[in-house]
Amino acid sequence: MTTFPDIVITGWGAVGPSGAGREAVVQAFRDGAVPLREVDRSGGYHRNAGSRLAATIDSNLDLSTWISPRQARRMSPPSRLAVASARMAFEQADMPEEEAKVRNTAVVTSTSFGPSSYTEDLMRQILLDAPTAASPFLFSEAVANAPAAQIALLLGAKGPNLTITQRESGPLLAVAHGVEALRRGRTGLAVVAAADESNALLHSVLDRFGVLAGSRPTRDEAGMEEVARPFDHHRNGFVLGAGATALLLETATSAVERGARPLATIRATITAFDPGAHEAGWSNDPEPLARHLRRGLESRGIEPSSIGLVVAGAAGTREGDRQEALVLRRALLGQDWADLGVQLPPVLAPKAYMGEHGGASLAAAMLACEPEAADTEPLAATPGFREVDPELGLVPFQGGTLPTVHRILVSTLAAGGSSAWMILDL
Amino acid sequence: MSTTFDSSGLDPATTVAVTGLGAVSPWGWTVHDFWRGLLAGEPGISEADQFDVRGQRTSLASEVRDDDRRRDDLVELWRSAAARRWSRADRFAVAASVEAWHHAELDTSNNDGEVGIFFGGSTAAMAEGEEFFEQLLRQRRPRPTIRYLASHQINGPGDAVARHLGVCGRVETLSSACASGGLALGSALDALRRGEVDIALAGGADSLCKLTYAGFNSLRAVDAELCAPFHAERSGLNLGEGAGVLILETVARALSRGRTPLALLLGHGASCDAHHMTAPHPEGEGASRAIAAALRDADVGPAEILFINAHGTGTQLNDKAEGAAFARILEQRVSHVPVTSTKGLVGHYLGSSGAIEAVASVLGLHHGLVHPTPGRGEVDPEIPVDLVRRDPRRLDTSGPGLGCAVSTSFAFGGSNAAVVFARWPRAS
Repeated sequence: MTTFPDIVITGWGAVGPSGAGREAVVQAFRDGAVPLREVDRSGGYHRNAGSRLAATIDSNLDLSTWISPRQARRMSPPSRLAVASARMAFEQADMPEEEAKVRNTAVVTSTSFGPSSYTEDLMRQILLDAPTAASPFLFSEAVANAPAAQIALLLGAKGPNLTITQRESGPLLAVAHGVEALRRGRTGLAVVAAADESNALLHSVLDRFGVLAGSRPTRDEAGMEEVARPFDHHRNGFVLGAGATALLLETATSAVERGARPLATIRATITAFDPGAHEAGWSNDPEPLARHLRRGLESRGIEPSSIGLVVAGAAGTREGDRQEALVLRRALLGQDWADLGVQLPPVLAPKAYMGEHGGASLAAAMLACEPEAADTEPLAATPGFREVDPELGLVPFQGGTLPTVHRILVSTLAAGGSSAWMILDL
Repeated sequence: MSTTFDSSGLDPATTVAVTGLGAVSPWGWTVHDFWRGLLAGEPGISEADQFDVRGQRTSLASEVRDDDRRRDDLVELWRSAAARRWSRADRFAVAASVEAWHHAELDTSNNDGEVGIFFGGSTAAMAEGEEFFEQLLRQRRPRPTIRYLASHQINGPGDAVARHLGVCGRVETLSSACASGGLALGSALDALRRGEVDIALAGGADSLCKLTYAGFNSLRAVDAELCAPFHAERSGLNLGEGAGVLILETVARALSRGRTPLALLLGHGASCDAHHMTAPHPEGEGASRAIAAALRDADVGPAEILFINAHGTGTQLNDKAEGAAFARILEQRVSHVPVTSTKGLVGHYLGSSGAIEAVASVLGLHHGLVHPTPGRGEVDPEIPVDLVRRDPRRLDTSGPGLGCAVSTSFAFGGSNAAVVFARWPRAS
């Protein structure tokens, strides 16, 4: 029987609405409020009513520590975020970037919507001016794999180069690909990154689908603040976010040999699809996904009781949060009725702090892997959470210090049915 | 199970078989249409008529015709409520997947074990997204048709197939531009080897859209005439659309349910040029590493390659770099191994090109024939390949080993993929 090496994470980096670097992630969790910004509605894409806010990247954010202005000019926004995050991951791992060349480094990225602002600009050129007005630069950077390509170009990473486009489950599927490439010896190092941007067109489209907090306020919700409320009784949609998180993966042996401290071991990744989900949402039946998660844990000898913390993908949608809560409850506790006496492990809902973007779950998972990074000041309670939903019976993180745990479950249930989980051992 | 089948030395429990195929091409909505068109050698490329292409460097495209009514099952399928929300690419994907599913004689009640979907794509429902955006920009309608965006994302076609077939296993879409389909096949192969899925539908579907049409025109990467891969007078690609899907399962599983494999998927490899966003490494350095990795993964040597289904876009840079990559791998044999380009006949399916070309490769091994590559003028003397021209060529299977076909896919951003198929040993 073939035995595969353990794969560990030795570095990570992130850029998000709160800024650049791991410290910005910590700050987001301390502040307990997503930095929301007014969306530019001058393009005429929006309805009169509806959502007005998004957790966007500060347009003045300085990434020059990681990307020179000259390099940045040749990149789409998600490429910039991904490259900066990847370089942070190398820094934290104390891994010289030259090693990327030597180790036939794999790059696996994920994105939900790709470089949407460049796509929008290109479509405007083609549709409003003429097809012949299309910019070749915009076209080459409008492809979903542009961030992966830019990381490879800057680092000289010549290993497998893949991009996953599977919405919210993409980041964990990307991790699974990075793990596989290392286990099979196809690479000596893997950069895994999730990168998404937010722009006015994307915001307006999601608003028209009615999935954003504030998209369709009911009479009862009039005057309610436009924030995400993961697992809350009155949740009414998510806040569109932007950002990137990158992880540096290597074998445990490699980390030991170079004296690096592994932040976590990737014990397992589990994937499933819920065919009952509609194109833009989730189904009401948790069983297909719960069955896969349960079997996935069993087959790897992981006791649900050994999980000390759940990093949830919940973003504040009615269907998605319900489905995730019930899947977790059924898979980990063996029951799906809301009994406050039988609780799940502590649940962190990072999208309440960082907005909905692929990097949020990865960043929160890594923060939980090194709670000492955030232990100088307590973290804030889950923003937007006020009242327990009696059907879910789930109370997300209530503030204070993150628990010190030995095992973390990261959960992502994508709109449309694709789902993925990751188990991290500390 | 550790016994081998025939004298191949391969373990049926871990060796992966191709047991079903599906294709949507300019010649029709079946594999039969596709194979017949390939052998005829007449390009399914003509004046584009889905949207206005006047003023661009080319007006050609390979388009799927609306003759799907020749398949009774599709007529019925399109009436379903779900189908009304499907994009054009979703329909290609579902049509090809259903054909492959039936071809493999899988149980439609989904009692055939864990099924996964591994798709590659790059445009998916971009055409429908453009329609929505145009309505929005020009304010032609007070409320733009949001339905156009229901399946707009790149994962739309794969997800539509999963929903239609009731798939519960891993479903993923890779979007590494033109390498996506090849990478998706590799991911499926890994998942089968791990035992994560029992059946994998691997492939992809993309439809033509204004964005990619204008984009490739802006890059001056299109040929105003029919594309001519590996020919001296080549000047670019022709865009295409369609779908290709392969059903993959272990040999043991296929044989246990009485299916004779069409071919074997033995290995895959991937690499990155890390050289330029849109231009390949001029000496095919990255491409050759992907091919070498695939051969290593398949545990076969270059001498076992019967033919190569090349990425063969017809651009000056790609074909030259690809020829150099083949020379690195095959060395002295490079001018003796038949090479063909499916893109010469059906255009470039972008993210799903690796999928349709994998279907062509399997058909070639199964029938013992390599389809021809059309093109004007002479083969480029600077590219040292044995290009199959004009007529199909019968494979010489007298060489060592099982006899393999290599299919290559190279992309924007330098992502490279290669897959290795082998003849089913019991094939006549």
